[in-house]
Amino acid sequence: MTPRAFLHRPQALVGAVLLVALVAACLLVPVLSPHDPYAVDFAQKLQGPTADHPLGTDFFGRDLLVRMALGGRASLLVAAAALALILVLGFVYGSVAALARPRLGALLLRVLDAVIALPRLPILIVILVAVRLQANVLTLVFALAVVNWMLTARLVHGQIVSLQEREFVVAARAVGARSSWIAVRHLLPNSLGILLVAAFLELPALILSEALVSVLGLGLNPPQASWGTIAQDAIGQGRTYELVLPSVGIALFAIAANWVADGLQDVLDPRSL
Amino acid sequence: MLVTFALLRGAGGSPFEPPPGFARVPLPVQNELRRFYNLDEPWPVEFLTYVRNVATLDFGPSQVDRYTTVDQVVEQSLPVTIQLALLALLFAVPVGILLGLVSAATSRRAADAAASSFATLLLVLPVFLFAQIASKWLVQEWGLVPGGWDEWRAKVVPALVLGLAPAGYTARLVRAAATEVLREPYVGTARAKGLRRPRIVFVHVLRNSLVPLLAASVPLLALLVTGAFFVEGPFGIPGASAWFLTAAQTRDYPMVMGLTVALTALVLVASLLADVAAAALDPRVRERRT
Repeated sequence: MTPRAFLHRPQALVGAVLLVALVAACLLVPVLSPHDPYAVDFAQKLQGPTADHPLGTDFFGRDLLVRMALGGRASLLVAAAALALILVLGFVYGSVAALARPRLGALLLRVLDAVIALPRLPILIVILVAVRLQANVLTLVFALAVVNWMLTARLVHGQIVSLQEREFVVAARAVGARSSWIAVRHLLPNSLGILLVAAFLELPALILSEALVSVLGLGLNPPQASWGTIAQDAIGQGRTYELVLPSVGIALFAIAANWVADGLQDVLDPRSL
Repeated sequence: MLVTFALLRGAGGSPFEPPPGFARVPLPVQNELRRFYNLDEPWPVEFLTYVRNVATLDFGPSQVDRYTTVDQVVEQSLPVTIQLALLALLFAVPVGILLGLVSAATSRRAADAAASSFATLLLVLPVFLFAQIASKWLVQEWGLVPGGWDEWRAKVVPALVLGLAPAGYTARLVRAAATEVLREPYVGTARAKGLRRPRIVFVHVLRNSLVPLLAASVPLLALLVTGAFFVEGPFGIPGASAWFLTAAQTRDYPMVMGLTVALTALVLVASLLADVAAAALDPRVRERRT
């Protein structure tokens, strides 16, 4: 993989820049802004965009720009934590399914297919309702990971299986390398790249999931801002403008991450070199 | 199923736990209720009884309203959700295919970019945004269409809203597939024979671009199920996901279980049907059988 090949794809480059800009905005705005994201000021409530409040204020007179940024932080943090779990889980499951004896591997693959077909949101809701008495950010992270690890497992499995037919692996086998050696030395390191692709494919899905369950009142709790809780407030009080903000945030993030993932996939795919 | 059961049963909490400041339910009444709902058995017995009931499609009474059984709710609400999803697909698939074909086959880059970006936007903007805007303005403020699910006029808008994301997804899939197919030699042959371009695109390319669409039934179904959770509520549609959310909020375990099983079964049957359809459409898959 050459970084330059990635940089030569305009879409991937724009996506990467957009992602960095979004993350930077989420990190910097709360530090630089003079407004307290939790300070209630009814004299200022429901303002449109002004010089003082670039995105306006919400029902409690809180600055929406700061809340969007803080919300982005929270959404990203939850998604990133869930992503870490997913990558580990997916990598382990995918590689075991690919490297195990054929019978076991086929069984694991069948199970994966079955689990993928299950409707995720109802199961996510069941889990969150079940743990609601002890609900906190950690349970949310775990629940998101439990219903979203399958794509990564599938990608890792596919990568290892396709690697097994590549010349250098066949050559290693031909010179008598043990299969455990081949797995540790050739297959697993070379399938790490696909994790990067999986990460950029999963991140927007996780951010969206967080928003979906928060809108249903099962995610983070107000006044903690996340893109989901901002949307939840907006829906509860019937204000379209406030709903558009987090939706656009989610959409922008999804588009940027997708472009990066596409670019990475092209670069990592040996056929395109 | 065991997992769902264990989660809900092991979650602690009980329907008899009063909110702070409210009187407890008298103990004899509690015991009577426990017996009625089979909650007095140890949990393995409870689970086995439950499995036996579910196997015979008897999900038992609701824990919140003892005169309503879960079966009744499933029977009434599942067809509503199925109808909503089918109506959404009826709109989403043709629109998505058209959008995808246009953006793959057009020679103008601007048209392609416009169609692709439109499809992407449909896919990535969260469904609750569209649902909220449509229900707020079309139903509540302007009163153009009624809410609920009684008249056909009420069904159009929710189905459209639910179909937006699947349409975007379909368009992206078809665009990718059609771009590949257009490079196939037989498309060149067709052109050499003197066939018009629309005929090539809509007859030769279309058919072969549909296979990846049917193969992608799982994500499509996920979009529909997820979407239903955010469309049924705002439009006041008495579908399975609306019931599911109410039941989840009132900790009505049998209801949640029954609806989870029903929704899961629905999704599995639908993806099975899509697989069969894909096999019927794709000569390569058909060949493998024989």
